[in-house]
Amino acid sequence: MSENQAAGSSIQRSSRSRTRPKKKKKNLLPQAAILVVLVAVVGILLARTSALLAVFWITGMAFGFILQRSRFCFTASLRDPSLTGSTTLTRAVLIAFALTSLGFWAIKYGAHLNGLPIPGQSYVVPISLATAVGAFMFGIGMVIAGGCASGTLMRVGEGFIMQVLSLLFFIIGSLWGAHDYGWWKLNFMLDGKAIFMPDIFGWIGAIIVQLLIIGCLFVAAAKWEEKKNS
Amino acid sequence: MAEYELDCFGEACPIPLVKAEKELEKMNVGDILIVAIDHSCAMKNVPEWARKQGHNVELDEIDDGEWEVVIEKMK
Repeated sequence: MSENQAAGSSIQRSSRSRTRPKKKKKNLLPQAAILVVLVAVVGILLARTSALLAVFWITGMAFGFILQRSRFCFTASLRDPSLTGSTTLTRAVLIAFALTSLGFWAIKYGAHLNGLPIPGQSYVVPISLATAVGAFMFGIGMVIAGGCASGTLMRVGEGFIMQVLSLLFFIIGSLWGAHDYGWWKLNFMLDGKAIFMPDIFGWIGAIIVQLLIIGCLFVAAAKWEEKKNS
Repeated sequence: MAEYELDCFGEACPIPLVKAEKELEKMNVGDILIVAIDHSCAMKNVPEWARKQGHNVELDEIDDGEWEVVIEKMK
């Protein structure tokens, strides 16, 4: 890690903590090689059943790898601005949102242009008080649990035992939620107006409005960090 | 020049940072705080925060998945 070396030994530590035994790093290359082969074999086996499954397998692996290496964390992106004043991750998430917006827009607009049914329209659901209440509860939960869904999965993979507990209750909660989903949907979620932006702003207008909002949030995040650290 | 240690093994992301923040407040300029962590998120989070605060920071991987963040209080 270049970060460690850059810091150098500028800090003079007492001999007590310096002489603490340091375990020698194990060489994990053989295990890594076995893992790569296993991933490839499973990928090939999946592809024989369905090519799509193999694509999911590979994108899942890639997603997990990027998540782990980049320390991309949705929880931190929303928590750090108030906790430490850092908005690095907030801005990273906003960039990700902008990119996915463009992707979704292209897929939906493409389908519209070709006269095909627009995919994913069942996810256009009403915004109501339930959205805000649910988001607030999820926010509290993910800060206490130490991660959102993707973050928890990633850290379980890293071997952080406490979050195995998070994962367990994450599964229980999801199953419970799925079990009662119909009732919630009927009584709370449909209690509002569903907005599909291209219906209001037009196809071009929708993506411009969306990117403008994200852009404003990005600038606000940058200014927030400046203010907090000055 | 005193040296303090903070054991944050097993504590998830924001807790080591909050604990370090409280501990640093009590310390004098020039003192050293060693925060022991095993949560990979805190390994990025704590040094980044401390550097932005203007402290000297060193990160040491003492074992697989265990780190020590050494913070020298500068102000």
